[in-house]
Amino acid sequence: MGGVPTRSIVRAGLFGGAGAIYVALVGLYTKFADLELVGEQVTLGRVLIVAPAFVAAYAVTRPRVVAGERHSVDLRGGLAVGALSGLVGAGLFAAALWFADWFGVDRIREVFVAITEPLVDFLTFDKGVPAGLPLLIVLCAAGGVVGGFVRTAPAAIRRPASAGVLAVILLGLLQRIIPIVFVQLGFEADWLYERGAGLTWFGGLIVFVVAAAANALWNQDGGRTRERVRRNVGQAPAAKVGLFVAILAILTILPLLLGTAISEVLGSVMIYVLLGLGLNIVVGYAGLLDLGYVAFFAFGAYTTGLLTGAFLNTTTGAATPALSADLNFYVAVWIVALLAAGVGLLIGAPVLRLRGDYLAIVTLGLGEIVSVITASKWAQPLIGGPQGMRGVTKAEVLGLNFQDNPQHFYYLALAFVLLAAFVSWRLSTSRIGRAWNAMREDEQVADAMGISTTKFKLLAFALGGAIGSLGGALFAVSIGSLTPASFEITVSITALAVVILGGLGSIPGVLVGALVLIGLPGLLREFEEYRALIYGGALVAIMILRPQGLIPNVRRSRELEDEEVTQDAWATAAGARSEAVAAVLPGGGLGVEQEDLE
Amino acid sequence: MSAPEHLLELTDVAKHFGGLYALSGLSFQVDPGEIVSVIGPNGAGKSTMFNVVTGLYGPDDGGIRFRGADIVGLAPNQVTKLGIARTFQTVHLFPNMTILENAMVGQHCRTRSGVFGSVLGLPGTRREEQRIRERARESLGFFGSRLVGYREEQPASALSYANRRRLEMARALATDPALVMLDEPTAGMNPRETLELRDHIVRMRDELGLTVLVIEHDMRVVKGVSDRVVALDYGRKIAEGSYEEVANDPQVIEAYLGTKAVG
Repeated sequence: MGGVPTRSIVRAGLFGGAGAIYVALVGLYTKFADLELVGEQVTLGRVLIVAPAFVAAYAVTRPRVVAGERHSVDLRGGLAVGALSGLVGAGLFAAALWFADWFGVDRIREVFVAITEPLVDFLTFDKGVPAGLPLLIVLCAAGGVVGGFVRTAPAAIRRPASAGVLAVILLGLLQRIIPIVFVQLGFEADWLYERGAGLTWFGGLIVFVVAAAANALWNQDGGRTRERVRRNVGQAPAAKVGLFVAILAILTILPLLLGTAISEVLGSVMIYVLLGLGLNIVVGYAGLLDLGYVAFFAFGAYTTGLLTGAFLNTTTGAATPALSADLNFYVAVWIVALLAAGVGLLIGAPVLRLRGDYLAIVTLGLGEIVSVITASKWAQPLIGGPQGMRGVTKAEVLGLNFQDNPQHFYYLALAFVLLAAFVSWRLSTSRIGRAWNAMREDEQVADAMGISTTKFKLLAFALGGAIGSLGGALFAVSIGSLTPASFEITVSITALAVVILGGLGSIPGVLVGALVLIGLPGLLREFEEYRALIYGGALVAIMILRPQGLIPNVRRSRELEDEEVTQDAWATAAGARSEAVAAVLPGGGLGVEQEDLE
Repeated sequence: MSAPEHLLELTDVAKHFGGLYALSGLSFQVDPGEIVSVIGPNGAGKSTMFNVVTGLYGPDDGGIRFRGADIVGLAPNQVTKLGIARTFQTVHLFPNMTILENAMVGQHCRTRSGVFGSVLGLPGTRREEQRIRERARESLGFFGSRLVGYREEQPASALSYANRRRLEMARALATDPALVMLDEPTAGMNPRETLELRDHIVRMRDELGLTVLVIEHDMRVVKGVSDRVVALDYGRKIAEGSYEEVANDPQVIEAYLGTKAVG
């Protein structure tokens, strides 16, 4: 059908149905049944009914390569294929629901706790099984049709339409943030958002139209406008500076617009931006996969506590640590960074000879060692062990309180982030950045070209460690008390996810990665318990759809371009050719007259 | 004591991989301003000799002196810093860096900007960066117009095969070497490119004042450039001398063509 094999369509449909069943099993439907995006009808739960069929149909209508030729599915085929795969998926989903109803929801619930009567009610639109099933099937099939449409419709239609829908969903999700911004700016928000709920129908329509129009403008002339803007902004220094100033201005006023609760989320985003920037030097620039980055985070946090006069928690009350100083935070933090650079050298030295997987495993182990030490009785006299520390400095200066006031803390974090971003940027465009780059691309050749790989690996670990420890120091200031639970392997994984999602080697990418992975789950508290699911899903999606990251580094995206000829491919070609030459060469007496050539 | 005029001096160098002797008892010298070709059938140990000299492998026995100083046991980057630059048998560039950046990497060992200079943008660092750029352009310019102009900003992976070879040589020249070691520089090139390269090798000596040690299979090139030829087989030197001497040496002919059938 439409050039797509029927088997593929059915398989995609079944995947879609299975996806919907999975969403039901993990409890997402019941969780989001009442999260209204637009009006009362369009809830996130209902979007999730449509979504699996949409994704399946979108995937199965992709262009196919048959015998070296690329065949796109046309619009009619796309709609038909989408409808069919949607129906297949809907059939599976409905059958599962029917089975659940027949078997007894309460009996299933003993194993799958998310399968409840309210779930069945939600999925059958309160009509019950089987009366509500046709509607469910129609909705899923519609998802399939839309999926096929989005893949196969002319770009001039599907791009603005997709942008509009995405904008509506995004603004619907941000229903707790945008109204606050409006009120802070002195605007009415009632026309756009229902009070305490999603967009109004009118607001949704406006958002859709505006986003679609903006997208259409951006893509007009078949993308020439976009290219022109990109070229101008990319090359004119004034435009670059303007863009930078604009971003800086937005970052500066953000907490004033968003209020305390959201500023708190932004504070954690900034801490992860700092971690991401540090890890980006190690992984993105130098190409050393470090899975134990939490070591620097923990080191920075505890050392800050020790240097600024924090107490140990003990069963009998507070105690002074075995080693302690009472320095001003703004003095202590530089000592922390310096010491962390030293720790970076210590961690770097034993792993210098390791590459790739082995390096990752060893750093993972080193990170775990640090986590275990923070929680150990052995370290109790120094850092409090399982009970941890409290009373970390509030770093007060000029009447600002960085512990109790999230808006103030945001500015402290922003200052450190700007510093770290500046250092990263300068390094990446310098002789040092070039050496890291060469080393990442081919370590042995870099060595043969005069780059001391030992020195530059250690430098990456030291600088990455210093910046990571600043993240730890800020974290300590922001929460005031330290317990081992904050320093587990999830920190390493999250920081790495931030860097990879944003794009390895890209400084703006780190900011975007942290906003997506830390900011969104923090802002949408309903998502909190699905954080791990979101990370996993986001990373899998990014690896498949956009492996160079959301905002890729130029070089990194080159590495992943399809037409790239790899070094191995050159080698094979060169080998074949040089053998061919060698075969003809030692003619009689080894001499060949030059006239043959000229 | 050997006379200090030798630029590079190998004495009884041996290297084995397990039981296989890739090099054994290999001795020869390269004098300043010479072009010396190393020939020999596949597996004769030519590339192994390069790797041993440049520090990629340590020799199992014997001595290697460069400008009179022992260089055995030095890391490749230290050897490069002393003034030996090389290319590889299979081209090894930094494919995702631009052409200019590839050449700029060559200047790394001649420059010294550190973290503070780079982050603070100190005037000294900026001047040095400018010098690196100029020096890199200069070595790219050695190959005429092929690697300059708009090409500078292209990734190395965008180059044709022959230009990759040239860029690899330009990168080696950018390390400001005294001795350039080229491992089969004409491999995979067409006859016209081969001829052009032959001239470049001669120009490296005549215009840049460099000493060149070149592994080469193409006898037209060997004949055209060599002041001296060293022939290897099974890791041993089987002949040394002028091109004519070596080309007519019975052992060399036998190594290439095999033993004459008896009877």
